[in-house]
Amino acid sequence: MFNLKTTPFHERTSALCQPQNWRKWAGYFVVGSYEHVLDREYWAIRNAAALIDVTPLIKYIIQGKDAAALLHRVTTRDIHKMKVGQVAYTGWCDEDGKMIDDGTVSRLEDRTFRLTAAEPNLRWLTMNAVGMDASITEVTDDMAALSFQGPNTRKVLNLVCEKSVDDLKYFRLMTNKIKGVDVTISRTGYTGDLGYEIWMNNKDALKIWDALMEVGADYGITPVGILAMDMARVEAGLFMLDVDYTSTTHAWIESQKSSPFELGLDWTVALDKPGYFVGRRALEREKKNGSEWKMVGLAVDWVGMEDIFKRIDLPPQIPGSAIRASLPVMVGNVQVGYASTSTWSPLLKTYIALAHLQRPYYEIGTDVRMEITVEHHRQHAPAKVVKLPFYEPEWKKK
Amino acid sequence: MTNHYNTIIIGAGHNGLAAAAYLAKQGRKVLVLERRAIVGGSVVTESFGDGFTVDSLHTGGILRPDIIKDLKLATHGLLVDTVHQPFISLQPVGHASSLTYRDHLVIDSNPVKAAESIKHFSVKDAARWPEFVRFMDKSAKILNTAYATIMPRLPMNFGVKEGFGLVDMGLSLRLAGRKDMLNFIRALPMTAQELVEEYFESEIVKAAIASVAIHGSTLGPMSAGTGYTLIHNWMNRGGLSHVNVGKAGEITIALANAVKSFGGEIRTEAEVVNIKIENQIAKGVVLANGEEISANVILSSADPKHTLLKLVGPRELPPEFVWHVQSIKMRGSVAKVHLLTDGSHEIPTGTVVVAPSVKYLEKAYDAAKYGEISEQPYLEVTTSSNTVSIHFQFAPYVLKNREWKVESGNIYKLATDTLNNYFPDLQSQITNYHVITPLDLETTYGLSEGDLNHGQLMLDQFLFMRPIPGWSNHKTPIDNFYLCGSGVHSGGGVSGAAGRNVIKVLK
Repeated sequence: MFNLKTTPFHERTSALCQPQNWRKWAGYFVVGSYEHVLDREYWAIRNAAALIDVTPLIKYIIQGKDAAALLHRVTTRDIHKMKVGQVAYTGWCDEDGKMIDDGTVSRLEDRTFRLTAAEPNLRWLTMNAVGMDASITEVTDDMAALSFQGPNTRKVLNLVCEKSVDDLKYFRLMTNKIKGVDVTISRTGYTGDLGYEIWMNNKDALKIWDALMEVGADYGITPVGILAMDMARVEAGLFMLDVDYTSTTHAWIESQKSSPFELGLDWTVALDKPGYFVGRRALEREKKNGSEWKMVGLAVDWVGMEDIFKRIDLPPQIPGSAIRASLPVMVGNVQVGYASTSTWSPLLKTYIALAHLQRPYYEIGTDVRMEITVEHHRQHAPAKVVKLPFYEPEWKKK
Repeated sequence: MTNHYNTIIIGAGHNGLAAAAYLAKQGRKVLVLERRAIVGGSVVTESFGDGFTVDSLHTGGILRPDIIKDLKLATHGLLVDTVHQPFISLQPVGHASSLTYRDHLVIDSNPVKAAESIKHFSVKDAARWPEFVRFMDKSAKILNTAYATIMPRLPMNFGVKEGFGLVDMGLSLRLAGRKDMLNFIRALPMTAQELVEEYFESEIVKAAIASVAIHGSTLGPMSAGTGYTLIHNWMNRGGLSHVNVGKAGEITIALANAVKSFGGEIRTEAEVVNIKIENQIAKGVVLANGEEISANVILSSADPKHTLLKLVGPRELPPEFVWHVQSIKMRGSVAKVHLLTDGSHEIPTGTVVVAPSVKYLEKAYDAAKYGEISEQPYLEVTTSSNTVSIHFQFAPYVLKNREWKVESGNIYKLATDTLNNYFPDLQSQITNYHVITPLDLETTYGLSEGDLNHGQLMLDQFLFMRPIPGWSNHKTPIDNFYLCGSGVHSGGGVSGAAGRNVIKVLK
């Protein structure tokens, strides 16, 4: 029988998880929420220091003379330009320029990279490595990872780490020590806030957790589950595989597939980089002809929503967590797209969504309507197409 | 010396030269680059010493009539009349000096004469022979039509342009007759054994025909799909036996002369080691000596595995495409043993086989499955003046626990020992010999894994699946770069169809 795995932090996380709200993530149990409502966890991300177990991220170490060439070929970024210590977010495509998965590439050494992914990609990587001197090793089960997110995280790390993280720039990484244990710290995350990800050997996991919890206590450190992170990542305009797009490896029909341009990843597609990379031709074509679809932000108009609820004498009702359900988006009586994740943003006090709209409705400022359910009846609340991200604090990159 | 051409063709085998001649005839500035010091590729007559001149790999052969006509090959010294010699299956009881129809099965290209010999083995079989020949000729004709048609790029959507060829093909197949068409389709996946058993009862007759089905393939007569290989080989030979034995080189020399007469250039000892590619567009070639030559269009008649994985390289190609190319089954298992004799050998003229029974052939193939050389091999022997050429199966490219570098003597011994059963004086008549192992086929003749056909002739590697699914129309993911060798649809054996067909795609 197939059993879900537990992460090296399970001894701590399971003791803290009050509602027994567990989620499946890439074959692991992880905490959905530590408390019965998400508010405290959500606000820890935005105001303090959230400690999130992200061990289930699929991780590969790619090593060898052609390691850079392999990632250059597979992903859409110009990997040869990356410096040691740099991290790059990227998607990767099939030959038709449609997204397979997305993740980060970290250049740990000149010839050593770490690639993270939402789903297993070993076969794809191996297929691409034909004729290359590059080894691909999956280290998902050997390496624990903590995402440490929120405005207080830098202060906590400076207290707990051997070396200061003050000079660690956005999307860079450094080696460091916590309680004498070697860790890698990258200034990355999935919340759009100031944040770090800490990578360590499984055996050191509890030691690192305890050290952070102890020192972080004075700074509001809070273990946070993935449901609160889900709200924050929508505010940050970050999408999720299998929720906001379908990998070409799972799509049943063509229309389920998405290109990086359609997901707003134009900035990650280096069409000017030298040499072949997978999907290049198709991406060049799409760049030239424009995309049929775009993922955009939708901000639902509060007053308009209030009016709809008022008709049946109710105040507007808002979801308590992010909704991973497809909601039709209309212009007039015609459906022009759908929202794939929607959430109430406690910080912006706005009902927001990541939505996929057809040309020309994806232009910023377009007025559309998004489906809401009002007392069992489907209604359409007025909304505006807005630029992503919804929220970007000045300290995110500073 | 100018270093830019309209079209570069890699490999001066029969397909490369045919393509080059057609293109030169169109007025293009054409350059053929050949790795070896001589042209010919697999269709070559070579000298291995004084008076020791043989068809090294393919014994004789003939190009499609339209190619001979289009390229005016008769004016370039090609023997246009085909000389059909009989097909002879050796019998252990016989002795060459007293060769009679009673001893050996002698199948003449004239069906009436053939029936005369078959009658000595089975009256029934003799009566059925003309019907079998009719079926095989008809099937060969259907296959030839398919081989003249550029296949659509299934499973991709194919456009109207590709559809036209199929309409043509469909039309001529309809004209072939519904019943014949059905019998043809039915025969393709059958085993050669099943197919011959539907016609014949005599073991020697069945085995003789079945041997042609496995010729050049790493398959046994009980392998599925040898119905197809039988029709394929029958089509290329125009029957059971080889034609124009000893004159293979004349074909490619005539083609080379045609290329030159149309203004094309041929450079020998010019090995291409790399295709220059920019943004998935072929720009030129790099030779082993470092010289670079640019061209608008580049064709490769080398096998698809070598062409795509070595010359182009996997880095320039989409991953799924690479995976398919890696999966092309090569699996050569043919060795050649050429003998120079004092002229007194008693091997009859014709296509002579050691194929005493279907099971004998199957057992010979069994060895190949386990990486072993057949102890009792299937041999096909042809003679030309005082030379004897032996086609030896099975000698698998990948040997278990042994290496080809030291096995060539073993092949010589097995081949001559086997023939000694029929011609006891042969050993004493041999004055020189030359063995070509599957490894030599790769290193000397450039055939990956020693596969004479640039990829096994199997049902999952033919029509729109040759060389790989979705890329059966000579094109590659690299613009201006095409395949025109035996590894593409219509290729395998001597016909020139692949070199001719590519021209239609280039238009």
